[in-house]
Amino acid sequence: MKKITLILLFLISLWFTGNSQQKSFYGLYTDRDVYVSGETLLAKIFLPEGISSSIVFLDLMNMNGTHITGASLAIQNNEAQGYLQLPDSLSTGTYLVRTYQKHNEAKIKTIREIWISSRFDGLEKINQIKRIIATSSIQDKETTQIGITGSAPEYKPNSSFEASIKIDESLLKELDGNLLVCVAQTDQSFNPITFTLENDRSNDGILEKQGIIISGTITDKRTMEPESDITVCLTIPDSIPGFQYYKTRKDGRFYFLLDQYYGSVQAVVQCFSNNPTQRLNMKLDELFADPGTLPEFRLQPITEEFKTSMTRNISAGTFRKVFGQETLTFSTPPKRNRDSYPYYGKAFRTIDPQLFIELPNFTEIARELLPGVKFRNYNNEPSLQVLNNSTHNYFEDKPLILIDGVPVQDLNTIKGMGSADIDRVDILQNERYYGDLRFPGVVAIYTPKNDYSMLPESSQLARLKLETIQLQTKLAEPSVTEPNIPDLRQLLYWNPTTQPNQNITVKCRTSAIEGQFKIMVRGKLKDGTMLFSEQHFEVK
Amino acid sequence: MTTRILYLLFFVWLFSHTGMITAQETFNRKWDGQKIKGVRHIAYPTYTGFPFLTDVWVPGQIEFSNGEIADSLFLRYSAFKDELLYYNKSIASQIVIDKASIGGFSFTGPDGNLRTFRKQYYDGYLKGDRFFEVLSKGETDLLAYRKRILTTTTPYKDEQEILKDQEYTNAYQFYFYSPGKGYALVRPNQNAFLDIFNTIDQKPVKKLLRKNRVRISDEGSLILAWKIVERAGYKVILR
Repeated sequence: MKKITLILLFLISLWFTGNSQQKSFYGLYTDRDVYVSGETLLAKIFLPEGISSSIVFLDLMNMNGTHITGASLAIQNNEAQGYLQLPDSLSTGTYLVRTYQKHNEAKIKTIREIWISSRFDGLEKINQIKRIIATSSIQDKETTQIGITGSAPEYKPNSSFEASIKIDESLLKELDGNLLVCVAQTDQSFNPITFTLENDRSNDGILEKQGIIISGTITDKRTMEPESDITVCLTIPDSIPGFQYYKTRKDGRFYFLLDQYYGSVQAVVQCFSNNPTQRLNMKLDELFADPGTLPEFRLQPITEEFKTSMTRNISAGTFRKVFGQETLTFSTPPKRNRDSYPYYGKAFRTIDPQLFIELPNFTEIARELLPGVKFRNYNNEPSLQVLNNSTHNYFEDKPLILIDGVPVQDLNTIKGMGSADIDRVDILQNERYYGDLRFPGVVAIYTPKNDYSMLPESSQLARLKLETIQLQTKLAEPSVTEPNIPDLRQLLYWNPTTQPNQNITVKCRTSAIEGQFKIMVRGKLKDGTMLFSEQHFEVK
Repeated sequence: MTTRILYLLFFVWLFSHTGMITAQETFNRKWDGQKIKGVRHIAYPTYTGFPFLTDVWVPGQIEFSNGEIADSLFLRYSAFKDELLYYNKSIASQIVIDKASIGGFSFTGPDGNLRTFRKQYYDGYLKGDRFFEVLSKGETDLLAYRKRILTTTTPYKDEQEILKDQEYTNAYQFYFYSPGKGYALVRPNQNAFLDIFNTIDQKPVKKLLRKNRVRISDEGSLILAWKIVERAGYKVILR
């Protein structure tokens, strides 16, 4: 009986282990396996079931674990699609494309190996390439239930390509979500490995339900101890500036959720102590996960065929850059819910100093143009007070002073601002509240440059360029080119959201690029198994 | 033995599921009133009566004009000034929330009933945004403007022995409203109610109310009467 129990338990634990591995699996697929620096990498990610986070990260890392570029992608129906712009300056070699989520502390990463050739180096001096030795590589299941018919083994450059994808009715019921259909150049001498990396902690396990999360820690500059109850502010420039604040926890941590923001966003993060003499240090967490344990590599001799193909691709990539041929078209971001007035309230008065005689500094501007604002600079110690409209007394405390929406504490920053430096000044002459923050009057200065150049550098201030949720993209249609400009697309068709049907027709045009191409169909079954079917053809 | 196997199976199941529980939120992302904009409330003058709709702070929800929702806030609606106040525990202050930032709010009154208010532009006398309580929602809404005003009364001495001659009194106004068609003021009495219908409809409406044994004399009977008449398909005349 004991034996039976043990065998039963062993089998059950095996089943659970297998099941949990399957559930934590991310399917990561790129349009191609080999790229030239400066090109765009397109990716589709299939996510496991039951994920409540709405963001998945896609990034590129070199073999030494240096993060190069990345994007945060919105998940729709357990799928995500996006792109990475490969920098021009990349050196030739093997790179790692990773996908992961933060809700599970980026513990589970799916990593795909790709090859990037530098546009400026070439492969003349390279005889061996580094390849990954992965112990847990992901093997997708090739299926005959997805049939690709109608395509010829050979096509001429710049000719029409058409193929039919037939899916078995039995398979249609098992498929989960959309299919990825791609027609792209391929190089059979470089078969990339995709593998999973687990138990590799990085940031906090935060559930990103609506957008990306900016986090960090505040420490005392002197003691290096985490500081609690410090007000951290995040400002995002706009016609109506975006503003959030967070009071740090006992461990000095703070978090901001950037929901409804798309694409690159400029932001300023600041921290303010309750004690004016205290100096603070702010450390922001990396948006992307740590490299973690790097895989091992082996050397593989490079084939002449690969070298020739890459040399051709480098020329094609360079030409495309020169002629500015776009790879992607971007969709417009969803309309964001916005406030009709800034967080500090509706201005009592808005003064445009440009409409008056030019004044050299803020003392003169306050005296001549700003009613109810008292700015003094006695003994080089500036002070600013605002008249309270309700009590007709000046507030004893310093008002909220903003430059382009960013709070400023040091009055020396504004004292030299003359008419030429100021676009407009908003004044609020009452005691305003924003959540738990109290503003005894507000003086909001907007500059013509609107570039935060007036803000002083400090360990308590960080200017950021954030990659928020990536905009949805589509592969650009081949443009009608002039006869003397060649069509040098290596990616002919890319549809990561193909609805599964019994018959799917793929139509595109081959480009002037010659070589091996393949049509590839990938999908996910409801049990998490990744399927694929592909067919090769040559353009010559 | 069977129990032991069952226990073991349970522990195996528990062990295998522990690894899956990874999504721990490390901070509370609940909308906690962090973005509420407003000014500190300055106490109203004290007279007989009460300037607020409820004499206690009631837990409620605010829907802001930008679509965000703040929940579990202690609210109080000032019927005197038509403004919404919330109590900020952190700074121990009563804050008058910017009217421009509010789309609507709701709270459960001391009687346990959910009361829903929404901000609407009123284009009649004293134009501007007003908080209307939604009494009945449909193609035509029945709304109440819970106005409390100061009226002159017989001189009296308050608790501090100060002589006063004013008091807070209810001046509730009821409106039928349909988007695009406008408002129609209605008083809570039978004749005023019948007046807002077509002359042809007035008789059958009167008959319908009599059949349902409804006599409009107050707010409750007005709502009941409107629900019966609306169900029967009669339309009110809006400006």
